[in-house]
Amino acid sequence: MRLAFILGEIGSGLRRNLSMVVSVILVTFVSLTFVGAAGMLQMQINQMKGYWYDKVQVAIFLCSEGSTAAGCASGPVTAEQQGSLNALLESPAVSQYVNDFQFESKDEAYKHFKDQFSNSPIVDSVTPDQLPASFRINMKDPEKYQIISETFSSQPGVETVIDQRQLLERLFSVMNGASLVAVSIAGVMIVCAILLIATTIRLSAFSRRRETGIMRLVGASKTVIQLPFILEGVIAAVIGAALASATLWAVAHFFLGEFMSQQYPDTAFISSGQTLILIPALLILGASLAGISSLLTLRRYLRV
Amino acid sequence: MIRFENVTKVYDQKARPALDSVNLEIDRGEFTFLVGASGSGKSTFLRLVLKEDRATSGAVYVAGQNVAKISSWRVPRLRRGIGVVFQDFRLLPQKNVFANVAFAMQVIGKSRSVIRDTVPEVLKTVGLEGKEHRMPHELSGGEQQRVAIARAVVNRPGILLADEPTGNLDPTTSMGIMGILDKINQNGTTVVMATHDDDIVNEMRKRVVELKNGIVIRDEAKALYTSMIPVVGQSRRLKDASGRENPDAELRGEGEGQR
Repeated sequence: MRLAFILGEIGSGLRRNLSMVVSVILVTFVSLTFVGAAGMLQMQINQMKGYWYDKVQVAIFLCSEGSTAAGCASGPVTAEQQGSLNALLESPAVSQYVNDFQFESKDEAYKHFKDQFSNSPIVDSVTPDQLPASFRINMKDPEKYQIISETFSSQPGVETVIDQRQLLERLFSVMNGASLVAVSIAGVMIVCAILLIATTIRLSAFSRRRETGIMRLVGASKTVIQLPFILEGVIAAVIGAALASATLWAVAHFFLGEFMSQQYPDTAFISSGQTLILIPALLILGASLAGISSLLTLRRYLRV
Repeated sequence: MIRFENVTKVYDQKARPALDSVNLEIDRGEFTFLVGASGSGKSTFLRLVLKEDRATSGAVYVAGQNVAKISSWRVPRLRRGIGVVFQDFRLLPQKNVFANVAFAMQVIGKSRSVIRDTVPEVLKTVGLEGKEHRMPHELSGGEQQRVAIARAVVNRPGILLADEPTGNLDPTTSMGIMGILDKINQNGTTVVMATHDDDIVNEMRKRVVELKNGIVIRDEAKALYTSMIPVVGQSRRLKDASGRENPDAELRGEGEGQR
């Protein structure tokens, strides 16, 4: 009976305050979408780190025809220089940091290049001669890149030493920056949501002051008086959180899963299934935001 | 049933107290009129019984319990034992007569079947049978006050507090309301009624407690509105009545509960 009564009160409260309730739903929707977007970006970063860090290598590019680097003053790399580099890589001073390494000749580099840019017209204008030969090194500890770089960049016949991880780090820092922006927008929006929920509950309490006054006088308990208001806010916020969850799932499923993964087939995007773990977090966040802010508001505006 | 021991209530340190060392005992089943000018402390008295306010000093006992010692989560239980009726009825305009009375039972968790049985019975007591489905605006003032009384007594409280229940009604209607209050009183409910209406008090011949500036100046059984013993200093009393802000507004005010 009491439950039915409380539910009825919630229903009438939501109906009476419809426009405010809709705005609470929208504000929590937008703010939680940003929270979730930040979460998805972090998940994507982790995913890509896991995927790429195993594959990335340190590449020692050797001098070719047109190289202008200091180590290439004597022209393209000679077989002798290449042999001494190979020996250096096998020497214990270096090999303790190296898992394994391969030599990639100009022809192999051309083949990889063709694979990678198969859709692009640039392939037709590139010849094997233009691509440098290189040693590809898998590090035991990718952090030790500096040692390889110092050892090899001054060797004759070496054009440059590149840590591919650094290329990725740049991408990750952009993504981290984006998730930081998302989090700050989410922060502002959450403040908005809290204030709006507080105002809504205040209005709702004011428009039902007759009822609550009578409830107080006939001895209704604090729970019966306050719960409808709190649940009103919580329900609105949970609807907003559900919309946000649906949006994030749709982005992961349709945008990342179907569009982006076709455009960039060699990139590992997070799956829509992975975003499901964000949903309970968003629902709980939304519900507790609303619960806490309406509880605090009621303490001030609804004397019991 | 209600006992005030040396109760003082100060709202504002600079002004005189609203109640000043009041000692009063109202027994179970008694019918008591609380009379006095505006600002004499009648409404403060009622608020203290309901624990809407805390006495500055002294002790208020309701049904044997010191209300100051009732923890805040038990206050609802105290209030379930007290029905309250106001001058302005305070009905819910969008609920019909039945729903208005049933509301008081719903919010304390009474079952639907109990409500279905009790409400018509109480409406019959106040003389509103057959008007269950009317809306408050379709009723006369007297009928609205009857609904309010029905709501106040539907949970069978031991005490009924009435704050000028006839203040908005014409004399004939008022007498009808008094008949209902008397009937409720005869069923064993203690009734305390604050009023300005001298005709009613004179007609009823019940116990009269007269307050003036927060002090009990008269407590007579089967009495009239004005004392049969002449009161000294009548002119000063009139001056005081207009000299202070009206604390009665606290209990009657619309914004109550939102502060």
